[in-house]
Amino acid sequence: MPNPPTGLSERQFRNALTRFEEIVGRDWVFRTDEDVALYRDAYSPLWGEEEERHASAAVAPISVEEVQDIVRVANDFRLPLYPISTGRNLTYGGSAPAYSGSVVLDLKRMNRILEVSERDKTCLVEPGVSYFDLYRHLRQNNIRLWIDTADPGWGGLIGNALDRGGGYTGTDFRDHFDAHCGMEVVLPTGELLRTGMGANEQATTWQLFKYGMGPWIDGMFSQSNFGVVTKMGFWLMEEPQAAKQVSITVPRREDVFALVDIVHSLICDHTIPSQTTVASPVMNGSTDPELVRLRTSGGSSDADWNDYAQSVGRPFWNASFVLYGAQKVIDMQWEHIRDRMGVIPGVQFRETASYTFPLSDEEAEAVPDKARYGIPSLNLFGSRNAPGQQPSEGHLDFSPMIRPRGEELIALYDLTGKIYGDFGLTPSAAMGMMFHARTMICFHAVPTFRNAEDNQRTRALFETLVTSCAEQGWNIYRIHAHFQSLGMSVFDFNDNALHRLHETLKDSIDPRGVISAGRYGIWPRHLRGDDA
Amino acid sequence: MKWWLALPVLAWSVAVTAQDDAFPVAAWSRTASIDENAGGLSVRGAAVFNNWCDACHRNAAQNAPGTRSLEFKYRGELPAALEERTDLTPELVEFYVRNGIAVMPFYRKTEISDVDLAALSAYLTSD
Repeated sequence: MPNPPTGLSERQFRNALTRFEEIVGRDWVFRTDEDVALYRDAYSPLWGEEEERHASAAVAPISVEEVQDIVRVANDFRLPLYPISTGRNLTYGGSAPAYSGSVVLDLKRMNRILEVSERDKTCLVEPGVSYFDLYRHLRQNNIRLWIDTADPGWGGLIGNALDRGGGYTGTDFRDHFDAHCGMEVVLPTGELLRTGMGANEQATTWQLFKYGMGPWIDGMFSQSNFGVVTKMGFWLMEEPQAAKQVSITVPRREDVFALVDIVHSLICDHTIPSQTTVASPVMNGSTDPELVRLRTSGGSSDADWNDYAQSVGRPFWNASFVLYGAQKVIDMQWEHIRDRMGVIPGVQFRETASYTFPLSDEEAEAVPDKARYGIPSLNLFGSRNAPGQQPSEGHLDFSPMIRPRGEELIALYDLTGKIYGDFGLTPSAAMGMMFHARTMICFHAVPTFRNAEDNQRTRALFETLVTSCAEQGWNIYRIHAHFQSLGMSVFDFNDNALHRLHETLKDSIDPRGVISAGRYGIWPRHLRGDDA
Repeated sequence: MKWWLALPVLAWSVAVTAQDDAFPVAAWSRTASIDENAGGLSVRGAAVFNNWCDACHRNAAQNAPGTRSLEFKYRGELPAALEERTDLTPELVEFYVRNGIAVMPFYRKTEISDVDLAALSAYLTSD
């Protein structure tokens, strides 16, 4: 059996687990080394090292009442709990706790789709419901609504939204936290709360109107540790009549200024409804030594880059997105977009896919870019992409956010390319993704390994990326559990006033510090200064 | 999926155990207490494969990153699709489900229980 949480004796720990067994049954308390090891972070940047975060046990309730009882027991023993939903937040910490020794509160068994209203275009789900689950339900019941899925379809709607993840479909849906409407929360005392209109039991609009009355507090339960969310409502996108996926390429490096400005304008005026990716077919080409030299130089000239682009025969930038709606509206939108983009010399337009809905099962299966159509998959999970290739073992997401400006996109990848090079690694692919209408997220994969030597380099690289980008004003929107204190530390206006307020709230809402100690750098009073 | 198991699997996958709650329970919800006798181990194992493994390991040229990765690994020496393998043993199936490999993570018992794992092994090791 693993060691008890710090501050609890072996006997106290055993007694707490016995109390948990009385609540959920013996089958759903996991206490052997073998079972608890299944709660490790599969992509941990500390795999096998002393500092790797480990659970001490896990408990898996099936109802809200069981969650409440477990939280009350945790208060009795001052035992740290770490709630997870589907536990598949890989690259951000997975199912491992932020504070070693915590008992993982595994909500995967709470997997009910409580309601889907085709008329209202909403759903209400429990934390264990994955994108696959909801998608299958919609298909099986011929409900003409779309989900907005994260890249890995085994992720959960609630967990991903609470970590403020994103997807690819319409503007109102792909910011997953923004697309939620109403939540139910077990507070750290065990008390049950419903937010928004749900605070009135008779309300018919819990999943339709976010605010209810008084301060709107839902944001407090995202990227935080102020409660255990047990239900959440979401808005779902009405299936469009048609969709057209398009690609717009421009030839020169400096064309990205106009390209991004126009894309941003077209998103803000609602002409482009979908997530838009601006990527570089030139910079993401290969491991050609000349390309690596340019990428790691820290800032090669436009002339050098354009010469290289010409030598490989590729356009420098490609913007890809999808138009959804009535076919005749799409046709007019596409015409308008081509008119706007036509000012860029050498711009080229391509229609890469067109669909009319609904799709048959076979047609849905054949869609290559599934997430853009609300179809979950695991298609990004290949270990090898070529014969003989060494399989990858995992990665961390480093995703700084910039203004949607071409000059910032170039400057960011000049900086991070050099940093990767300094650490002896090939720079990550270059792309700016407009998950949100007014910012670009620039995803970088930072590889993780199952050996300490490589992971030490990974951690140093990751920390350098975080601090170097923060110095330029490019902060990240989300971060792996191991680096959450670092991530919060750069939000340091007025002597970290925001973080100090988080801790003030923590002390008030969770006085015994039982929920997710350390998550996003928020520690209960008795653990402050001890990030172990 | 092995075709002859398709129909009973469909029935299994929509089974439901009602719970005491103010909310109506949707007929498609899956719970941990599905009838273990519905159709025998292999049928249950096919459903487990369909639910947890198929998205990576289906026997298809596309939408199967696990199959593709194994194709690159084995280069024709072994079938890339797990359902086509005849050399798998229960121990091997259990090892990879509980330990993972490369980017494939291990599975918790709230995802694939020991009973489900035994069923999955029976399915993948049956003729």
